[in-house]
Amino acid sequence: MGAGRAASISLDGVRDKNLMQLKKLNSVLFPVRYNEKYYADVLASGEFTKLAYYSDICVGSIACRLEKKEGGAVRVYIMTLGVLAPYRGLGIGTKLLEHVLDLSSKQSNIGEIYLHVQTNNEDAINFYKKFGFEITETIQNYYTNITPPDCYVVTKYIGQSELKK
Amino acid sequence: MGAPLPPKEANLFKLIVKSYETKQYKKGLKAADAILKKFPDHGETLSMRGLTLNCMDRKPEAYELVRLGLKNDLKSHVCWHVYGLLYRSDREYREAIKCYRNALRIDPDNIEILRDLSLLQAQMRDLAGFVETRQQLLSLKPSHRMNWIGFAVSQHLNSNASKAIDILEAYEGTLEEDYPPDNERCEHGEMLLYKISLLEECGLLEKAILELHKKESKIVDKLSYKEVEASLLVKLNRLHGGEKLYRVLLSMNPDNYRYYEGLQKCVGLYSQNGQYSSDEIDQLDSLYKSLGQQYTWSSAVKRIPLDFLEDVKFQNAADNYIRPLLTKGVPSLFSDLSPLYDHPSKADILEKLLLDLEESIKTTGGYPGRSDKEPPSTLMWTLFYLAQHYDRRGLYDVALAKIDEALQHTPTVIDLYSVKSKILKHGGDFTAAAEMADEARCMDLADRYVNSQCVKRMLQADQVPLAEKTAVLFTKDGDQHNNLHDMQCMWYELACGESYFRQGDLGRALKKFLAVEKHYADITEDQFDFHSYCLRKMTLRSYIEMLRFQDRLHAQDYFRKAAVGAIKCYIKLYDSPSKSSTEEEDELAKLPASQKKKLRQKQRKAEARAKKEAEVKSEEANVGGVSKPGKRQVKPVDPDPHGEKLLQTEDPLMEAGKYLKLLQKHSSDFLETHLLSFEVNMRKKKILLALQALKQLQRLDPGNPDAHRSLLKFFHKVASMPAPATDGEKLISEVVEAERPTFSHLLGKSLMEANTVFLEQHKDSLLHRAAVAEMIYCLGQNKGDAVKLIEESPNNVVYSNGSHGSVREWKLKDCVAVHKILGTVFNDNDAATRWKIRCAEYFPYSTYFEGQRSSTHASKKDSKQTHPENGSIESHPSNAKIENTKALKDLAI
Repeated sequence: MGAGRAASISLDGVRDKNLMQLKKLNSVLFPVRYNEKYYADVLASGEFTKLAYYSDICVGSIACRLEKKEGGAVRVYIMTLGVLAPYRGLGIGTKLLEHVLDLSSKQSNIGEIYLHVQTNNEDAINFYKKFGFEITETIQNYYTNITPPDCYVVTKYIGQSELKK
Repeated sequence: MGAPLPPKEANLFKLIVKSYETKQYKKGLKAADAILKKFPDHGETLSMRGLTLNCMDRKPEAYELVRLGLKNDLKSHVCWHVYGLLYRSDREYREAIKCYRNALRIDPDNIEILRDLSLLQAQMRDLAGFVETRQQLLSLKPSHRMNWIGFAVSQHLNSNASKAIDILEAYEGTLEEDYPPDNERCEHGEMLLYKISLLEECGLLEKAILELHKKESKIVDKLSYKEVEASLLVKLNRLHGGEKLYRVLLSMNPDNYRYYEGLQKCVGLYSQNGQYSSDEIDQLDSLYKSLGQQYTWSSAVKRIPLDFLEDVKFQNAADNYIRPLLTKGVPSLFSDLSPLYDHPSKADILEKLLLDLEESIKTTGGYPGRSDKEPPSTLMWTLFYLAQHYDRRGLYDVALAKIDEALQHTPTVIDLYSVKSKILKHGGDFTAAAEMADEARCMDLADRYVNSQCVKRMLQADQVPLAEKTAVLFTKDGDQHNNLHDMQCMWYELACGESYFRQGDLGRALKKFLAVEKHYADITEDQFDFHSYCLRKMTLRSYIEMLRFQDRLHAQDYFRKAAVGAIKCYIKLYDSPSKSSTEEEDELAKLPASQKKKLRQKQRKAEARAKKEAEVKSEEANVGGVSKPGKRQVKPVDPDPHGEKLLQTEDPLMEAGKYLKLLQKHSSDFLETHLLSFEVNMRKKKILLALQALKQLQRLDPGNPDAHRSLLKFFHKVASMPAPATDGEKLISEVVEAERPTFSHLLGKSLMEANTVFLEQHKDSLLHRAAVAEMIYCLGQNKGDAVKLIEESPNNVVYSNGSHGSVREWKLKDCVAVHKILGTVFNDNDAATRWKIRCAEYFPYSTYFEGQRSSTHASKKDSKQTHPENGSIESHPSNAKIENTKALKDLAI
């Protein structure tokens, strides 16, 4: 599928001036209303959170939280990744995820990237597997309002940590 | 002149002058004091000391000293010159001119004074005087280029263009063959182009084009050269040459509409009103088709044919025009096409076209007849266009449905929110429109435009404090009032003034309207520097254009709105003067004691706060003044920030008269000017001036309901006046009697008969019926009949769109006006209520009539609270636990 004519896809950072764009996206993409902490993490993550623009229209986003561990190591947690329904299948999600993977690989103190996925969300699991993620843990009753309530932790190890494993 | 000073003091005096010119004011003062120690009465020194103090912000002292100096030495041209300079610095140009004239009487050949005088004369448009002064300057110093040019320009301004040409030719005669030198080529070229424009103005077209060709090598501005040549060729009817030249110009800039117009003129396919025969349309069509092949990147060449094409050809052209723009995503597409909506048939075609596109994209993913898919955004832009289309046609329901569909498709496009806000505004729901505009604003806090639009909507919804807070986000120092005023932000001041007026706060409203008037005075003032600058820089064509623009300045829309607003305020103020303090006391006395106390406390607090603010401000002003003496004048604090003093005016009608005069001079073709003139002069009991206003109304639009109302009111009023007693009164009544037959409405009819005839002529129009009804009541007939006349007005369907509903004739604005008439003129609350219920049906979004879908309607208010706008699950223990569920289901690639 996809448009016959090539439309440009570009990424832009999230600042307090355009934070509302992210809020709008989240309000239609996810059944959750995110709290202030989420948006504070977003602003603190810098380059790790991006909005995706499809011919100048904001249509998707990836939002990460950087978790500091002992010894200066950092873990990247992907809080949300989503694209507006009409604009899916155009490679926008891939571009967003690749941006974060790329960024992480360039930073030597980042050892892993992980996220939570509902256990029945096969499309998502397959999507992440393509990028070298694997299921590392299952958490029972992670969700309170949806079925199944269980989730997987999906992780990709990079750099030295990968060697260790 | 007074006795000459001894050499030492004479040198000191020279030092004062020099210090003044080099802005070393302290040094100048010292020197002046040294002279005055010995010669305390020396007039010229006193004057110069005053002038120096004027530059140091010590105005009152300055005036005192300059006047004293003049008194001590009336025969000194220096003293008069200084006095003139002082007035000039205060923009009192008339007084300044008088002083200069006195100075010149003593020293007729003083070049400096003559030059200063000429600037003032140009500024005040004392054109005869300007010519005279310029001539004198030229004869005193013919070696100076500027004096030749100045004399020529003065003749031109004084409507003597041919004289100006002679002068410029004489000037050219003084030049060497190899003139100009390299560093003056631009100036000289400008002078030549100016001269050619003068020739054109005098109708000497042949001579103009000869001159143009002759001087080609000396004209630097090649583009202007070609444009002037092309326009001359058209005027000379040398169309073949013109066509060739316009094609050259188009190859340089294929998006200049004037070039296309010129080309059309040359090939005999141009009509002012855009009406063409079918044969001409065919020719135009093929002309633009061939141009379109040449200039594939031009948008003008694609857009212009939509204006003249019709029917199927229009449909095809529009289709070709619209598709790529929807694909690309051009938010301004609708405003680009909106002029086409003046032709209902084109609007119908566009509607069908867009609906077909929508249908096709929804079913096949691409445009009709195309196999390739459109990008997902095309559907959103199509819906966006359709929303604006239905908004324009008055079908607000459909428009909102379309925009909501677009919002559901892509909720991140700011333009969608802006357009939704606009639709709500048109529907009459100002509150919801402001809310929606605020939502648009929040989506890009760095965008001044959406911020401004939001401010405007808030003001339309009479949320002034909120609007001020929002506007301040984009002003630099956070002190928004002065800042917006300094930026001459007139749309803001007008919208603010109108909101205050609606809310009955006449003081604040006047403050805003007069601020706009002040901007126009400033703009007039701003031309002053250009009188010398443009002559020096030789930008003569722009200079003349600027002067002509200034002459028409007060005809501008913003000024008119401000003046109308101010006059309305003053009329209202006259009709119900502001409460005096004793009346306020009386009202206070009526309140229960507890409330009284509260109110008093509130007042006291407010007063204290205001006082404190003023103090802080003036302190700041003082600090600024000390640290930067003379450099940047710190503005004094506005002593009347809320316009309370404006309300204290003794004679509001006289104040109104000032602005009325400007409207009469510059906007005499606007009905409203004369309606206001009528209202003001009736209140002033200036019968003849009111009559004059009526005659203007008659000239502009005798069928206008307000003109009719004014006419009948006038003659009714005149008839009820006591018999004329004085000669003057007799004369007036004779004039009125003699003029009455000139109003064809009234010829041979009583006022009641005239009223009936008027009704017959316009019986389908709501506003006309309302005017007639008001006059029935006013002429003492049955009030019930009058109200019935309004209530029986038909609201016909003017445009029907099948299943999409229909649009009726009545406009929201008119219905609001009628509601007010029923309430205030007839004092018939029952009728007003009936009217409101009826209009709420017609205008479901109107907050004024509390329509069912408006935000003032009771049911709407409740439902809002139960549906929070964002998200359905309110909160979750840990953030971001459910993610990537829905979104990623379709994301597998």
